[in-house]
Amino acid sequence: MKGEGTRVERTKPDGKKYDILIAGVGGQGVVLASRMLALTAIKTGFHVSTAETIGMSQREGSVSSHVRIGDEISGSLIPAGKADLLIGLEPAETVRNLPFLKKNGKVIVNSHTIPPASKPPGSPEYDPEALLSFLEAHFPGMICLDFTRLAEEVGTYRAANVAMLGAAAGMDILPFSRETIMAVLETEIPEKHRAVNRAVFEGAIEKIKLISAPLNGEQKVKSNV
Amino acid sequence: MTMREYMLGNVAIARGLLEGSVQVIAGYPGTPSSEIIDTLASREDQDYHIEWSVNEKVAMEVAVGAAWAGVRSVVTMKHVGLNVAADPFMTLAYAGTKGGLIAIVADDPSCHSSQNEQDTRRYARFALVPCFDPSTPQEAKDMIPYAFEFSEKFEIPVIFRPTTRISHGKSDIELGEVPSDKPVPHFEKLLDRWVMLPKNARPRHTHLLSIQQPIEDALAESPWNSLELKPDARLGVIGAGIASVYAKEALQELGLEASFLKIGTYPVPKKLILELLSTVDTVIIFEELEPVVEEQVRMIAQESGLEVSIIGKTGGFVPREGELDINAFLEALKKAFDLEVEPETGGVSLELAPRPPALCAGCSHRATFYSMKKVFGKDAIYPSDIGCYTLGIQSGTVETTLCMGSSISIASGLYHAGEKRPICCSIGDSTFFHTGMNSLLNAVFNKANITVTILDNRITAMTGHQPNPGVGFTVTGEPTVEVSLAELCRAMGAEFVTVVDPYRLEETQEAFKAAKDFEGTAVVIAKQPCVISGKRAGIRRVPYIVDPEKCEGCKQCVKFGCPAIEFDEDNKCAVITAICSGCGVCAQICKFEAIKEVKR
Repeated sequence: MKGEGTRVERTKPDGKKYDILIAGVGGQGVVLASRMLALTAIKTGFHVSTAETIGMSQREGSVSSHVRIGDEISGSLIPAGKADLLIGLEPAETVRNLPFLKKNGKVIVNSHTIPPASKPPGSPEYDPEALLSFLEAHFPGMICLDFTRLAEEVGTYRAANVAMLGAAAGMDILPFSRETIMAVLETEIPEKHRAVNRAVFEGAIEKIKLISAPLNGEQKVKSNV
Repeated sequence: MTMREYMLGNVAIARGLLEGSVQVIAGYPGTPSSEIIDTLASREDQDYHIEWSVNEKVAMEVAVGAAWAGVRSVVTMKHVGLNVAADPFMTLAYAGTKGGLIAIVADDPSCHSSQNEQDTRRYARFALVPCFDPSTPQEAKDMIPYAFEFSEKFEIPVIFRPTTRISHGKSDIELGEVPSDKPVPHFEKLLDRWVMLPKNARPRHTHLLSIQQPIEDALAESPWNSLELKPDARLGVIGAGIASVYAKEALQELGLEASFLKIGTYPVPKKLILELLSTVDTVIIFEELEPVVEEQVRMIAQESGLEVSIIGKTGGFVPREGELDINAFLEALKKAFDLEVEPETGGVSLELAPRPPALCAGCSHRATFYSMKKVFGKDAIYPSDIGCYTLGIQSGTVETTLCMGSSISIASGLYHAGEKRPICCSIGDSTFFHTGMNSLLNAVFNKANITVTILDNRITAMTGHQPNPGVGFTVTGEPTVEVSLAELCRAMGAEFVTVVDPYRLEETQEAFKAAKDFEGTAVVIAKQPCVISGKRAGIRRVPYIVDPEKCEGCKQCVKFGCPAIEFDEDNKCAVITAICSGCGVCAQICKFEAIKEVKR
C-alpha cells in the first residue's frame, strides 16, 4: 500500500451499474482479482467502490470482495439480492455468498475444493459434492470448471483468480472489454509473472468459447475439465 | 476530466494528512486503522516524524506535545484504543491545542476484528470536542485538511471517525495539492493552558463550554452537512456518515420522494435539523450504532414543540448493533409503514461448514499452546489476550479475552480469588509492551502464583506486521534499541524468567514444568519469529513430508491442527501439503518417525 494507484482519465459513461461479488478463501487472490476489475472499470470511465475482508480473517478464513461499478459513487457493500455476477473461487464460499446474487444473476464457480482448516464442534460437514450438485440444480446456466487445474495446466495453480477473470471476460458479461482487462493485467502484474498470467487469462477465454458453443445450445458444463 | 487514483480508504486518509501538512504522526496499530501509518511510513520523502508508539495513551501524548509546539499532529487508533488514551484526551479538551490535532479513531460496527462495537461519537460528546464522520473514502480524504484548520481555529482537538467500510473500502479518489510550507515548531510557555492545576482547569472548562455554540454554528456551515428540501415531501430522512449513502441509495431504488439531511459533523447542525423538522410529518434517522443524532433530533423536536413522528432506534426500527446497509433501511420503512418491501435475491441457501480463520501453517503460537496444554492439562485455567494467538481458542488454551494487556491481571485476580487450579496465561510481545507490562509488575508485586507466557513472535502480527520495542527497528525500518523482554521482566522483579524456542517441544515442555512448580510469578518467553514476517526477512526452512510406509494413520499430527497437514482417508495416511513452512513440530509429535524433511 504505497498510495500510488493507477492514474486514469475519467470520462462520463452512459449511466450503467454493475455489481460483482468475488468470494474465496484467504490466500486465493480474491483481493487481487477485485483490484483488476476495479482498475479496469475506472479505466473504462466508471466510478468504483469496493469492500473487502482485511485482517485476521484472511488467514485460511472466508474472504470476499464487493466490487460496485457505476456512474455514481455508491456505498461499498452490495445489498442482498443485487449482485449481477458472483465469482466463486471455491464451492462452499460461492454458496455462502448466494444471498447477494440477484434473480437471474450470473455465477462462475471454481469446482476446486478447499476443506476448512478446522471444524468447530457441532458444525456441519464440508461436503463438496453436495455443494456442486446444489449449485447445478439452482443455477443451470452457471459456468463451473476446475479453474485451479486450468491455471495449473497453463503454468501455476496460483493464477486461478486470473483464470476466472478470463472466464468472465470470455462470457462477455462485464461492462468493459477484455482488451481493457488485459491491458490492466499487463501493467499491474509484476514482470516475472506476467507471461503466465496472460496465458492463463487467454486460456480461460478459449475454454469459455469452446463450452459456450455446444451442440444443443445449452450452457451447462460439468464440474470437471 | 480529472485525475483519479484507486485507493484504500486508509490510504486516502493518509493522502489527506499530506494535503493537510501533517508534521507529527503517532499511533498504535488496530484494525481497521493500521494502514494509515503503514502508508505514510513507506513513503520516500518524509518531511514529518512518524512512529508506532507503544500504546494509544502514549501516542496521544506524543501528538499533544507536537500540537503544543504549534505543528499539526495526528494520532491513529481503533475505537477501543481511545479507552486507553481517554485519560489525556478528556483533559486535552480543556487545555486545547495550538497546532491542529486530529485523533483518528476508527470504529468497527459488527466487530469484524474487535472485542466490542463502541461508538466513538459518544466520546466526542463526552469530551465536548468536534467529530467528523465521513460517508465515503473521497470525503474522508477531503475532510482531513478541513479538520486541521478547524482544530486550529478553535484551538481544540478534533475526532475523525471512519468506520470499517470507509477505512477498508476502496474507491477512485480525486486528489488535491500537497502544500510545501509548514510552520516552525515553537513551544510557547502558556502555563495557564498547559498546566492543568485546579485553578487553571476550572476556567478552561468554562471556556470549553462557551465555544460549543460557535463550534456548532461553524460546522453547520461546513460542506459535510447538506439539506435537500423537496417542496411537497412529507417524509424526511436524516442519514449520518456512511449510513447516509445507504439511505440515499435505498430511496433511489424505491423512487421515494423525501427531503434529505446528510450529517457529517458533531455537534449536530441543529439549525438544519429544525429546518427539516418544520417541513415534514415524519422523519427517519439512519445512523450506525448509537442513537447519537436521534437523541438530538428528539430534543430539538421537544424544545420547538414540533409534532413530528420520529423513526429511529427507539422503538426498534433501526438496529443499535451491527453495521447497517440498504436492506436495514428498507426494513425500517417496512416496520414503520407496514410496507411490503422485499429485497429481491437469488433466494436459495444451504447449511454450510463454517470457515473460521486459523493460525498459519508453522505458526509458533500453535506449538507453544501444544506444549502448554501438555504440561498444564485440561484442568488448568488459561487467560489470554488480544492478537493472532486469540485463535488459540481452538487449542483449548484461550479461556478469557477482555482487552489489551488483561491476561496477566485477570490471571492474578483468579489466583487471589482462591482458585486452586494451575493458572497459565498467554500474551503477545506487542500486547505485553502495550499494557501487559503494568500487569506483570503488579502480579510480581502482589505475589500472584501464576505462569505468564509471552508469545514473542518478534512483531505485531495480526494488524499487519508493525514493529514494537522488541524488534530493533522503527516504523521506517531505521535501527533502534532492541529491548530484551527477559531483562525487562527481571527488572520488574520476576524471579523465574526463561526463554525457549517453541519449535523444540521437549525444551519448551521442560520450561513449562519448571514454571508450574515455581512458587510465585513465573515467566516463560516463547521466542520464534512470525512465519509471515520471518519468510519476508529471508528465513527458509526445508518442508516436511510423510512417509506413507511408516505412517500408522493415528492422526496425532492431524489433531495438532496445522493447516498443512491433511488426512488421506482412502490410504489412511497423513499428508503434508505445499503450504508446509518447515517448523518440524509435527515430526516431533509423530511416534512412528514417519515425518521427515524433504530430501533435496
